[in-house]
Amino acid sequence: MELTADRITKQYKNKIAVDRMSFTLTKGVTGLLGANGAGKTTLMRILCGILVPDGGTVTCDGMDVETEEYREILGYLPQEFGYYPEFTGRDFLLYMSAVKGLQKADALKKTEELIEVVGLKDAARKRVRTYSGGMKQRLGIAQALINDPQILIMDEPTAGLDPQERIRFRNLIANIGKDRIVLLSTHIVSDLEHIADKLMIMKEGRLLWQGEWNTGAGDLEEFYISRIGDNR
Amino acid sequence: MNEERLILQIRDLCDSPQPENKSKFFQYLKEQEMMNRRHPVISHGEFLAGQLFYIGKWIWMLAGCLLLFIVWISYRHPGNYPFALTPLLAAGILLETRRSFRWKMAEFEHAARFSLRSVILARLFLLGTVNTTGLLIVILIVRPCFSYSLLRVFLYMMVPYLTASWLGSVYERMHRADQGLGSTMICILSSAFFAAVPAFFSWLFEERLTVFWTAALVLITCSLAGNLRKWTRNMEEPVWN
Repeated sequence: MELTADRITKQYKNKIAVDRMSFTLTKGVTGLLGANGAGKTTLMRILCGILVPDGGTVTCDGMDVETEEYREILGYLPQEFGYYPEFTGRDFLLYMSAVKGLQKADALKKTEELIEVVGLKDAARKRVRTYSGGMKQRLGIAQALINDPQILIMDEPTAGLDPQERIRFRNLIANIGKDRIVLLSTHIVSDLEHIADKLMIMKEGRLLWQGEWNTGAGDLEEFYISRIGDNR
Repeated sequence: MNEERLILQIRDLCDSPQPENKSKFFQYLKEQEMMNRRHPVISHGEFLAGQLFYIGKWIWMLAGCLLLFIVWISYRHPGNYPFALTPLLAAGILLETRRSFRWKMAEFEHAARFSLRSVILARLFLLGTVNTTGLLIVILIVRPCFSYSLLRVFLYMMVPYLTASWLGSVYERMHRADQGLGSTMICILSSAFFAAVPAFFSWLFEERLTVFWTAALVLITCSLAGNLRKWTRNMEEPVWN
């Protein structure tokens, strides 16, 4: 399975958020690094089919990203999200299962399974509004995984997680990324250091560098800063 | 006919080989199908039925209370004023369509299989159907309170309701980032307008103008349908632009 972006461009009034970006994502974890305002969120929204680019195309094995078939195999965690006020954590996951088209028996099974995986078992029947930031983020991660996605796109997934939760998240993603396409965006370099197989570095809407990354290649933070610096 | 003859001729000329490994091939296909199998998914009908339970309770309560109030006021004060209450029914429907944006759930729903458009349309359909059915039942209940025929009571109730729905949906289509307050204001203003009509234009309720009300009903229904069609096309993506 391949997710291909071909010369995608997105412009907001006088700012080019994504500038003629082309790449192909294959199985494994790909990290998307870039400073705030680099265009990561816009790129991710385009890849999810929720924002239409001004130019270029995004396809998954020839399938358009705006189709129902594509959304069926997609898991997405937005950077900012909310929840309906009356929802408990469990209700939220059941609602997302329904919108993702899961049958009731599957939805119940996956909900219980993921509540356990993200460590929310004790809080599952409490209202989401009583959750801490980290708990809400874990609930967001759980909803992204509920339909067993073949393509997982997560925008700043570690925001709000404490160090222990970050390690747990890394292990989870490393496991999931073995046989799926996973794209994680972050501006925290250490989040990607141990789990990303490939890296993409963005600056001002452009793709500065993309390639394979292995932990033996040195310090990722230094590499990232040198790349950003070279482009000044 | 020529094509059939050609097929027969080809069949006569060429000996088609017997399929080898046919069962193996079908077994392979079966395995592939098993390998690529996704979770069984629910149909659009099941999705629609499921959405019924996710519509805010207070929206149902608002609609129920309003319909009861129309019945009560029709029996207590059977003038032309009960007709002015129906635009408020539309406010609940329009407010519910903005729920995903108000609670920042739109991005989740947009990236899901059924997408944001399906969620909004499901809410519109469910609330619209229930409210309209409720209003039709109310019309039958309150009909004896008025000196008008059933057709005229129906027209006087439906025209304000559909006018508010149409104007509100036009506003929603044009102001997508709004939280639903604009369309609620439109419904309240429509209600106030239709409350003022009996005082200033009481001749509008004369029997000879029934044709005018019927024409208005048809026109507004067509405009509402046309606007909903346009709205459906650009319901999602521009929200983030």
